[in-house]
Amino acid sequence: MKQPDDLIKQMQDGDEKAFSSLYHMYCNAIQGVILSIVREQETAEEVLQDVFVKVWTRRQSYQVGKGRFYTWLLNIARNTAIDKTRSKAYKNANKNLSPENFVNIIVARDDVSSKMDTIGIKKFIASLQPICIELIDLLYFKGFTQAETAKNLDTPLGTIKTRARNCMKQLRKIVLDK
Amino acid sequence: MTKEEIIASGLLELYVTGSLTAQEIETVEDAIKRDPSLVDEIETIEASFIHLSETVGTPVSETNWHRIKAEIKRIRPLHSSQSDIGRNWGAMTGWAAAILCFAGVFWMIKQNNDLRQDLRHSNTQNSILKETVESNGVEFAEVTSLLNMIRSKDFKAINLPGNVSVSPTAYATVYFNEKTMEAYIDAKGLPVPPEGKVYQVWSLKMDPLTPRSIGLLESFAATESKFFKIENIPTPEAFGITLEPEGGSESPSLDQLYTLGTVTP
Repeated sequence: MKQPDDLIKQMQDGDEKAFSSLYHMYCNAIQGVILSIVREQETAEEVLQDVFVKVWTRRQSYQVGKGRFYTWLLNIARNTAIDKTRSKAYKNANKNLSPENFVNIIVARDDVSSKMDTIGIKKFIASLQPICIELIDLLYFKGFTQAETAKNLDTPLGTIKTRARNCMKQLRKIVLDK
Repeated sequence: MTKEEIIASGLLELYVTGSLTAQEIETVEDAIKRDPSLVDEIETIEASFIHLSETVGTPVSETNWHRIKAEIKRIRPLHSSQSDIGRNWGAMTGWAAAILCFAGVFWMIKQNNDLRQDLRHSNTQNSILKETVESNGVEFAEVTSLLNMIRSKDFKAINLPGNVSVSPTAYATVYFNEKTMEAYIDAKGLPVPPEGKVYQVWSLKMDPLTPRSIGLLESFAATESKFFKIENIPTPEAFGITLEPEGGSESPSLDQLYTLGTVTP
């Protein structure tokens, strides 16, 4: 997916239509990331709104050519979601939520309304190595650093990148058939 | 690092997830500058993550977008709080103008009432002055006609000097018309009679001395001009004025003879 630099620049100039296009382009993916952290649909939607309001107010802070726009969105989304899980209200309301990763969420989903081929993904999930699930969960969904991920997975820091590469090869094959 | 080495290193995956150190990001971006086709690889990785994430989340309802839109609309006026202040100034100016307007209206009503009162007062003054002018006019006309009359050759002025034994400073003048047998008494030189007393005017025949009352100078104090008209005077040789009890006397009290003057031929 090509990065829509023109839309990004228009949004940075205050164009709400461009902002709307960008929102609709990324909102489902960003909501998935948020959900993997807050694990509760209603809260995830609330955080999603907060995230895009922040995107609008901080739109000037992204520099085209310096990192991916999607990575910039990811950082805002993960930080906002993590802040939410630290709030007293969230802790009180979600005391009994068990720790989950993106796979648990996908597997638990039985709706077929999702635009993705959930059945195919489920198949993929079954074939994905547990180490890859954990690695993608920590690096991508939770935004851990390489060092934090290595420590969490009890693997040498130097192997994180190559493991990520190998896991992504598997992922690409399933989701993009590439 | 060559393009292939960069791809095989796993740096690009972590570039997308945002897990690289600043130095590693620099390495990737330098490599992209050297070979922009690396972006294709990055975009494939990014697309994989996006697809995966979309699978995790449920499709987002449009309500969320409306809320975001409403929120950023709300943010904008907050940014331009200047305009709020401006509106407040506008409102304040409006109130100030309204208060001034009310004050102005009340002031004008008060002015109007004052003016009306002044006008009423002026009208009263005016009618008083009018009356004064009228009465002055009447008085002036009377005085003028009187003056014309006594100046005419028909009237003879007779001086009545004061009686030294009774009132040495008193005097009177009689303007006498022989044809009409009328006379005007100028009693300016007489003192105001005491209460219960009145001046009585007499015409006198000298030989023998026969006094005849020809009138009383009534309302002496109230008569400003001190001019009194007397008619039907029998042919006189002299005029005298005595002070008599109110109502007058049959014959003059000579001990109260104030003035006396003879008619010279």
